[in-house]
Parts: sequence; structure tokens; C-alpha cells
Amino acid sequence: MSDFDQVIEEWEGTDLSLLETLDHVLNRGLVIAGEITISVADIDLIFVGLNVLVSSVETAHEVLKNRHPE
Amino acid sequence: MKLYVYCLTEDIDSLSGPIRGISGAPVRLDKIEELGLMVSEFNDETVPVTHENAMDHAAVVRSVLDRTTPLPFRFGTLVTEQQLRSYVAARKSALKTNLSLVRGCVEMSVKIIWQVAMDQEEEPRKPVQGIGATFLAAKRSEILGSELRAAKAREISMWLQESVKGLTRGEKVSIQPSEKLFLTAAHLVGRDNLNRYRTKMVQARDERRDLHFLLSGPWPPYSFANIELDVKTQFGVS
Repeated sequence: MSDFDQVIEEWEGTDLSLLETLDHVLNRGLVIAGEITISVADIDLIFVGLNVLVSSVETAHEVLKNRHPE
Repeated sequence: MKLYVYCLTEDIDSLSGPIRGISGAPVRLDKIEELGLMVSEFNDETVPVTHENAMDHAAVVRSVLDRTTPLPFRFGTLVTEQQLRSYVAARKSALKTNLSLVRGCVEMSVKIIWQVAMDQEEEPRKPVQGIGATFLAAKRSEILGSELRAAKAREISMWLQESVKGLTRGEKVSIQPSEKLFLTAAHLVGRDNLNRYRTKMVQARDERRDLHFLLSGPWPPYSFANIELDVKTQFGVS
């Protein structure tokens, strides 16, 4: 198994899969003009989440690097 | 009473079992103009953006992915039955064309993050004197830095495209060189090519250890669903 597979496994089951889901369902998909009606009480979580995504990828990579120093 | 719409489907006449959607409502498969639409009834005026609701939406769309390739609707699509019928009737031809484009495919998502701060790669700055000279030197450095990032991002985008050449049926790429997460790509991959695509991405990652990769999928083709995008999102406040 390569480091890459391990990184993917690190991502699975973490908030990253949730953030990827949010990225897909909120930003993409068929749109019927004028018929998307959402409330934004939880919207901060999305913006915070994107930052978490970046830092979590770095953390996962660091963990793997420490585990398998090159 | 409105309908919450999850996705458009073809080639399936019924759901494989009971499915719960947003707010726990039962999902049903309606047929309009020979096309299938996965919907559930929804009583409120707005759909709260919560983790639970987003995951419910994704789960409903994903529930048919092993049987067909659906065209997902964006989260929060609420319509009356009449509006939905009018929408499908008016765009039947475009929707069928789009379904045929994604048929037999799934979406794979690639995100690439700078691993090395680009300013570390710039040439060492020569000492300057005076406020004006210092300002101009800083400005020059800033401009050179963004030009360098933009050029590198374009180069990486072309390299990625070349890496998966012949394995994808479509791609959507977004580049934002100034952001740490600078490249987002969605690849439309035939199911029969999925293993080869994954192998190729592992090789690609090994070639570029100077970058962080996030590969996820398979997804329903969210990035390839859009038709006549005329977005007028209404943000309610709850």
C-alpha cells in the first residue's frame, strides 16, 4: 500500500469526507432557477470546514511522514 | 406542500427499498416525461444547511449510484409538483442529453494543495535603502510571487490533464493560484476505467511529492449536472 492510499484512508471517516460531501452538494448540481431556498444558520461551519480541510490534509501528511520517514 | 428534489434518473422503475431523505421524509421515485425524479415531501419554507441534511441529501443520491448514474440537484431545491413538471417538460431534451453524457460514469474529485510556500522558492532579495525603494522592492516581490504561482498552477493543471488523458470523459478544473488549495478538478470517469484511473493517480502523486493531493470518489456527477445555470439563491435566516 502506498503512502497515497494511506492518506486516503486517513481522510476516510474523518471530517474530510463530510467536507467533501458539503462541497459537492452545496456548490454543484442541477439548479432550478429561483428554487433553492436554504437557511444559513449553520453556514459558518462550511467556511470553517474548508480551512479545516486544508489543515487536516497537512496534518495527515505530517503523521504519515513521521510514521514512515523517507 | 413542496417537494424536495434530490436527483434525476433513468433506467430505473423503482427504488430498491425504503429510503429516508431530508427530515426523515420517505423518498419516492416520480416519473415525469419518462424521466425518474427522486423526491420527498417537505413542509417548511427553507431547508436548513446542517451536516445532517447535507449528508441525507448525498445519501439519497448515492443510493441509486450502483444501479444508474443520476443527475444530482443542488442542495435545497424545493418546488411544487407543477413547477417540477414544467421544469422537466421545458428541458426534457437537454436533460436527456446530459444524462447520456454521464451515463456509465462517476465523478472523481482531485484537490491539490501547495506543500512548499512559494516565497521560499524566490531568489534572495538584495538589500534596498529608502522607504520608496523598499516599497517598490516589496511590490516587485509580490507581483513576481503571484506570477510564479500562476505559472506553476497552470503547469500543474496541464500535467494533471496529461496524466489522466484517455481515462476521463470530461473534466472541470478550477485554479486559484493565490490560495493554498490552488487546484480543484472534477473528472468524469467511466466505471470500467475506475481502477486504471486510481492507479494513474497514485503514480501521479508519486511523481509530484512537492504537492499534497486529496482524491475522493466515486461521486455522482455533481460537477457535470448543470444545465442552464440561472441561480437565484434565496438566503433565509433561521
